[in-house]
Amino acid sequence: MHALNMPTTNQGIVVRKTLNSYLIGFGEAHVECTLSTRLKKDPNADPVVVGDVVVWNEAAQITGVLPRRNRLSRRGAVPTPGAYAREQVIAANVDQVVPVFAAANPRPAWTLLDRTLVSAESADIPALVILTKLDLVEGRPEAEEIEAVAAEYRAIGYAVVLTSTVTGRGLDELNARLAGRLSALVGKSGTGKTSLLNALDPGLGARVQALSKATGKGRHTTTTSEIFALPSGGSLVDTPGIREFGLWDVDEDDLAWFFPEMRPYLGRCRFGLDCRHDEEPGCAIRKAVMDGRISPYRYQSYLKMRVEP
Amino acid sequence: MTVTFASPRFYTRPGKIKESPGDFICLHCGALVCAEAALSGVRNRNHCPYCLSSRHLDQFEAGDRLSACKARMRPVGLTLKRIGKKYTGHAQGELMLVHRCEDCGKLSINRIAADDVAEAILALLEPSAGLDADTRARLVQAGVTPLDTAQIGLVRTCLFGIGSAALQEG
Ligand SMILES: Nc1nc2c(ncn2[C@@H]2O[C@H](COP(=O)(O)OP(=O)(O)OP(=O)(O)O)[C@@H](O)[C@H]2O)c(=O)[nH]1
Ligand SMILES: [Mg+2]
Ligand SMILES: [Zn+2]
Ligand SMILES: [Zn+2]
Ligand SMILES: [Zn+2]
Repeated sequence: MHALNMPTTNQGIVVRKTLNSYLIGFGEAHVECTLSTRLKKDPNADPVVVGDVVVWNEAAQITGVLPRRNRLSRRGAVPTPGAYAREQVIAANVDQVVPVFAAANPRPAWTLLDRTLVSAESADIPALVILTKLDLVEGRPEAEEIEAVAAEYRAIGYAVVLTSTVTGRGLDELNARLAGRLSALVGKSGTGKTSLLNALDPGLGARVQALSKATGKGRHTTTTSEIFALPSGGSLVDTPGIREFGLWDVDEDDLAWFFPEMRPYLGRCRFGLDCRHDEEPGCAIRKAVMDGRISPYRYQSYLKMRVEP
Repeated sequence: MTVTFASPRFYTRPGKIKESPGDFICLHCGALVCAEAALSGVRNRNHCPYCLSSRHLDQFEAGDRLSACKARMRPVGLTLKRIGKKYTGHAQGELMLVHRCEDCGKLSINRIAADDVAEAILALLEPSAGLDADTRARLVQAGVTPLDTAQIGLVRTCLFGIGSAALQEG
């Protein structure tokens, strides 16, 4: 790859990607680029994404992409029924995946969280779970349920921060956990990703929109992925809302490994590493679920993802 | 704080009701069981029509940690379901199967399907009357009264229609 040997002056990070153009940040400056013909012909679904370190030429064309440290991918939407699904890279070279779920409006979809966490595990990227809009459930029984489930994810080892941009709850903790790192926000439309960003940096004024009155769903306000620098020194990738998180390139036989709480039991089933942890007799994972050491909901997520990755 | 991974998710549960599990091979007698609702008359066919065995699966209670058991559930008795979701042996109502998991002992009450073998159901009356004290106590605590052999006429009526009891006895 000749790009690697080029002088580093024309090297920067892709901070925004729109249909045909890429905004590259280098130092304090920015340059708007397109793709070189060679990269346009690249058979990879997303040769250049937000977070990529790239080099460009005098014609403001990106000519090379440095090897990625990691990438967060999901299964892209199939353009026509029956067509092969393609990899959709959400971001590259991130330090942290941040699934964002609302405590209400919309209700948290825990299976979507599990899918996102499995994808982060398979990409070997740490995760930080954020629950937003806690003000909407404050003092109600729903809040207890949210706190209890949050405690379960913490017990697995994930950091979970409960926030509200209305009351300011959790924002200091969040700031601390985002400092000095590049974090990618992912979640359904309307869960409050952009609102968080604005709360952490009031100067930004990124666009936020009320949920649709008719459907109660988000309006897909954010339409491009973009990196924003935070005053705390960290950076956030704001991404468009997603509906689904199809697993990409996760081998079904490795799936249990991507549930960290299942790892201690792997190999301890009667069928050893051949166990699919479904109906096999003497399954150590199933036993751990029955004994209350693994959440039955997480186990159900596991089984679902095996059938429908 | 110790986390038991047992917090129920009522408010945040996913909206969709679990679909029928599809055709399955009976764990007990090996019969291929067709889950087609048109045949069984129930949306969630969960037991074998020939031997009435079932499997301890999450279709019983979503999120129930015991649903990871997946062991064989055997029919152990009969009860009557009265309107108002109460089970009792002393009134007319819908005849229901009582299943117990062979592995973890979980009890569940299930509707009879249209194609269940009637004789197999009738044959459950005796074990139902002779249930062990522990199982009986757990059922009674849940408001379920197992049927007794004295109620054979009632069961026949449920299975074969009005008048069948008198016919058999006469
Ligand atoms: N009550 C309450 N409302 C919030 C909070 N955070 C965001 N909202 C509201 O939720 C709605 C959606 O917020 P956005 O920040 O646009 O959501 P988003 O996740 O960026 O949505 P997309 O860009 O469509 O993916 C807006 O009406 C916000 O005002 C919160 O903490 N409390
Ligand atoms: Mg947004
Ligand atoms: Zn196993
Ligand atoms: Zn059978
Ligand atoms: Zn069981």
